[in-house]
Amino acid sequence: MNQLRWRITWALLTVFFFAFLTLANFAPESVRVASPLLPDKGLRLGLDLQGGIHWVLGVKLEEAEKQELGFLAESLRQRAKDNEEFHVESAALEGGKLVVRAASDADRSGVRSWARKAGLSLASEDGGALTFELSNTARAAVRKRGMAQVLEVLRRRITDPVQGIQDSVVTGQGEGRVLVQIPGGQIDRTLARKLLAVTGHLEFKIVKDAAPNEELLKAKYPEGWPAGTEVVTERDKETDRVLTAYLLPEQANITGDYLQDARVTFDRQQRSEVAFQFNSEGGRIFGDLTQEHIGERLAIVLDKRVYSAPNIKSRIGSSGVIEGRFTAQEAADLAVVLRSGSLPIPVQIEEERTVGPALGADSISRGLQAAVLGLVVIVVFVVIYYKYSGVYAAAALIANLFLLMGVMSLFRATLTLPGIAGIVLTIGMAVDANVIIFERIREELRSGKTPRASIATGFNKAFYTIMDANITTLITAVVLYQFGTGPIKGFAVTLTIGVITSVFAALVFTRLMYQVHPGTRPVASLSI
Amino acid sequence: MLELVPPGTQIDFIGHRRIAYAISGTLLLAGVVAVMVQGMRLGIDFAGGTEVAVRFAHEEGVDEAAIRAIAESCGVQDPTIVRYGETSAPEFLVRFNRVSDANERECPSAAGEAPAAPAPTPAPPAGGDAAAPAAGAPGAPAPVPAERLASSSATAVVDRLTPALRTKLGDLDVLSVDYVGPQVGDDLRRDGLKSLGIATLAILAYIAYRFSSRFGPGAVVALVHDVLITAGIFAIFQLEFDLSVLAALLGLMGYSLNDTVIVYDRIRENMATHTKLNLVDVLNRSVNETLSRTLLTSLNTLATVLCLLFLGGEVIFGFALAMVIGIVVGTYSSIFVAAPILLFLEQRYGGGTKDAKSSGKPKPGPSGGKKLRAKAQAA
Repeated sequence: MNQLRWRITWALLTVFFFAFLTLANFAPESVRVASPLLPDKGLRLGLDLQGGIHWVLGVKLEEAEKQELGFLAESLRQRAKDNEEFHVESAALEGGKLVVRAASDADRSGVRSWARKAGLSLASEDGGALTFELSNTARAAVRKRGMAQVLEVLRRRITDPVQGIQDSVVTGQGEGRVLVQIPGGQIDRTLARKLLAVTGHLEFKIVKDAAPNEELLKAKYPEGWPAGTEVVTERDKETDRVLTAYLLPEQANITGDYLQDARVTFDRQQRSEVAFQFNSEGGRIFGDLTQEHIGERLAIVLDKRVYSAPNIKSRIGSSGVIEGRFTAQEAADLAVVLRSGSLPIPVQIEEERTVGPALGADSISRGLQAAVLGLVVIVVFVVIYYKYSGVYAAAALIANLFLLMGVMSLFRATLTLPGIAGIVLTIGMAVDANVIIFERIREELRSGKTPRASIATGFNKAFYTIMDANITTLITAVVLYQFGTGPIKGFAVTLTIGVITSVFAALVFTRLMYQVHPGTRPVASLSI
Repeated sequence: MLELVPPGTQIDFIGHRRIAYAISGTLLLAGVVAVMVQGMRLGIDFAGGTEVAVRFAHEEGVDEAAIRAIAESCGVQDPTIVRYGETSAPEFLVRFNRVSDANERECPSAAGEAPAAPAPTPAPPAGGDAAAPAAGAPGAPAPVPAERLASSSATAVVDRLTPALRTKLGDLDVLSVDYVGPQVGDDLRRDGLKSLGIATLAILAYIAYRFSSRFGPGAVVALVHDVLITAGIFAIFQLEFDLSVLAALLGLMGYSLNDTVIVYDRIRENMATHTKLNLVDVLNRSVNETLSRTLLTSLNTLATVLCLLFLGGEVIFGFALAMVIGIVVGTYSSIFVAAPILLFLEQRYGGGTKDAKSSGKPKPGPSGGKKLRAKAQAA
């Protein structure tokens, strides 16, 4: 008897504890934090319930491989020029592979040994042309580094203290995918996207030539563009009309990689502009550059677009200003992008799931309604069908709900709409365990056993059936958790926890109630 | 004592198994034909595409045609427009797969309407999402930023579409925006099939561990039967098959076994205790004995899932529908299919005669039935 009392106390404490955790979720955040008793944090709401943006971004890692090959081609050319080990006629990318042409056998073997060290593997050899591609280890390293860079930059942009969006999450998701989650429905989707879309590759180039448009510029070079140059245009932001076409060197004189800071400032007419500051090394390079080219024009190129091309009047040290007829918003966006560094590899939105706050609130109230009605229907049914035993089942069911929600609150699990559906389903399935037990007890009673013996046999014989039934559900829930994303994962979570708590509730709580009444008392009949 | 099924009920389920075979066969066949002829109606999760749900504050002047005209002017090609929700606050779903250039005059780019940007310079610094399709000036170096956005221009169109709808048709709430790119759609489809396969294998492994080789195959047949028929019904009635329906199917795999397990556990028990009975009688007895709990457990779950179906709203409707269908099919199969399949497999395994093999087909004929019964008794 003493042991039974302990068990009852223990069970009641457990239920109260989890009920407390569950109900704490209904208290507003401010109350929870202020109260010393309530836990500060509880259940999280999924983006489908609180509203928000869910993006899966694809990172073009092929682009990173190409960049790496381009970089290697450049360093090979440099090396062949600098020391006289070997000569190469050309080294260039062709169809995503590095093709090196060298005249003599000695040169070619020099190239081959260089390539081995550089992490290249020979794809094919045709006369004087050697075709290389990245070796598997080098490719994996490049991809890994590319992902890390992209994640880093996106994180810095989205969580930027000035312009960023609070509570957003940026995580890598397998090879070449990034998951971005931005909670709250009030965010401007276009703004959020702009933060991601602009690659923010800032370059400074000395202008070689300029003309009002590309045709006029082309007319000056009837034999084609000089080697190592490219044409970049400045366009009107509203009409996208070309204002000026510039002939610029392909290689930037200095890039935004040396930037230390960027912020919004205003010129005399109160127009927004972006002031930037180089770090010490960048300042030195920039100073030398501007010193050398006084009187020439310096093009400020962002993502292959010229923003302005001011005349260099004197040596400029470590800081400068980008004027670009910006609105305040654009200037602020640009400053964030420059601060966070350039996105080395292009990304694109591959999947978007945006839920407005109205739908989120709708889903919560509808889900709650369905859950409450489901619970009421089941409770009414079991109490009518199984009478006094039905009351036990109903009590176990409610305890089970507290356990389920309490465990989720404890682990700060995310509740989604399919997750609510999983809870509703759990209500239906949890009572199944009780039905299996009760039907078995009824059967034992019919076969002439005493109520006490029937209860014992009922629980024992139903045990394996209940286990089998729930383990199979558990298996599918685990598979679902592995496979599912976002909301679906929420379903797997509630289903998994729900299966475990419902078995526990049926086998432990209901049984305990029978131990309290009828317990060891001899009873003539059982209300079931 | 309230009793759904009075004790001592003896329905000859095994004797009438041909009816069940006929029903199951027809449903399976119809499902296969439907998949082959009209295919599954895949939701955007698997097919890819864009889906925008909006709710208008009032009803005047808002209809499918008006929305279609505005959507097309914004560059949406062949939109499907579905109306749902209450009449006072009509909700519309605009779904599309392809976009083209927008008519800038009728459908100005989105940022121009954004309150944050008072100046008439809507495009973002890099040239703008909106201008994406018009990217790539002649002679421009290859990876221009606009090109980088081109494939997400479907979502860029959405940014123009919703302000345009708001200006022309009245105030609205954007309920949701979903975009699934072709790559992601393929991945989800592949992962979905993979997860179905893995779940089946995992359950098979559990069944093999838990049941003898006698019961295992029957449980698997019942399981596959339930999933295929549920999926088939989605194909027959061209109900939308999306991620949440797949999740429901996976959930059903576990659940559908519940009832089968109840029946099989009882069959195993009765085989041990009633050694004098022949297999047919054991099966009939077991199904009858467990009939009430099979029905009760299913009705309970069905009741809660029906609450979800009617109250849960549009987002969860597909999931709830799949659950409802699956539970009904699963209950039917545990009563009418799971036990007879044991008999069928037992005979095939034991004798392997032509008669036994053909018993899966709805071939009416009293002599065949008698032979089978005789064989079953021998088994």
